[in-house]
Amino acid sequence: MTQAQISKEEILAVFPTVSETIADALGCDVEDVKPDASLIDDLDAESIDFLDMVFRLERAFKIKIPRGKIVENARGTLTEAEFEQNGIVTETGLKQLREYLSEVPAERFRTPTKVKDIPRLFTTETFCKLVIAAQREVKAAAG
Amino acid sequence: MTDHFAAFSFVDRITEYDPGRRARGLYAVPADIPAFPSCLVAEAVGQLAAWVAMAHIAFRGRPVAALANETRFRSDVTPGDTLELAVDIESCDDDAVTYAGRARIDGNDVIELVDCLGPMLPVDEFDSPTAMAARFELIRGEGAPPGRFHGVPLPHVVRTAGVPGVSATATLHVPESAPFFGDHFPRRPVFPATLLLDAQIRLALEVAAEATHWPSGTRPAPSRMTHVKMRSFIPPGALLDIDAEMAPPQAGSAVVKLTARMSGRVAATARLEVSAKKGQP
Repeated sequence: MTQAQISKEEILAVFPTVSETIADALGCDVEDVKPDASLIDDLDAESIDFLDMVFRLERAFKIKIPRGKIVENARGTLTEAEFEQNGIVTETGLKQLREYLSEVPAERFRTPTKVKDIPRLFTTETFCKLVIAAQREVKAAAG
Repeated sequence: MTDHFAAFSFVDRITEYDPGRRARGLYAVPADIPAFPSCLVAEAVGQLAAWVAMAHIAFRGRPVAALANETRFRSDVTPGDTLELAVDIESCDDDAVTYAGRARIDGNDVIELVDCLGPMLPVDEFDSPTAMAARFELIRGEGAPPGRFHGVPLPHVVRTAGVPGVSATATLHVPESAPFFGDHFPRRPVFPATLLLDAQIRLALEVAAEATHWPSGTRPAPSRMTHVKMRSFIPPGALLDIDAEMAPPQAGSAVVKLTARMSGRVAATARLEVSAKKGQP
């Protein structure tokens, strides 16, 4: 199941807890944690904050989100060489990235897109989708 | 005498060990030092977790202090006490270790750490992996000789601004050299996060003690620390600006927001809960 198949209803269901958790991790007002807020550009998140957010979301939802694998997940089934060349996301990779991050407004994708800049695209909704994907894994594992 | 495994090492012996999952250990606080602050007790718990984590990944990486969601301060430690350390590892791989832990004295809790996370960095950036592995075997076996810690000098903290009883800004001069840098860490000296937190707690308690809201016959003491987040390594000689900002006490407790900045950038944040305890202010 891809993240693109996640429904708006599912996102709305987790959004309140996700936004509160992100606000707690970043020390900002929950009102500022809008669904399309860029965690880096709008909310000043740094790499340690990503660890913190994931850690808190794992506890809040009793799920497991593989640390350090968020960008890797964005690659989907593409090989590393298909996804990026010399740190720049390929055209095929960019198509995959746009699909994976379907919630991110099109104008935020830069051309060329550097792999190290992919986290800049992540929004609150991206984290909602990560939570939902992890919840599905928990359910699937439970049979 | 070398400072390595002496000037800032707080696990003498691992008494129980379930690889990658849990450990119990001991640390004898030397009787001849003036004090052993709570932050060093937390450091001891974190170091035990670090040993379990490093051994689990064959000393490829070492965890560094990053996140501690909650630390509960139960009671003080006196020089001469023996800490009974315990850690339970929730997850551990080449990226990070997550754990909880505690220290007890004679079976009574002195500190509890909940929801801690340390990202793993390559061991050889900080220390010799071979020396680390050998030390681990020593403390898992006969144990390290006790009494090699001789205390740490308090960093020079000077208040520069603020409102008494409400907030304070201070500068903290990290020493250029100190014995603990030889242990933390030999290849890359870093000012220990726990020493920064200790200085921040002292500043927060000064602010809290200036407030007049506390019940008579009590003094504010740290009860809980949350949201500890270390954003940067602090090198020897660094000049930090530290802030403590206290919300008005309610029902005998108050939260103090702590921030440390280095060259204008936030290097560390935390929140300290202080509560009224019986005793003279």
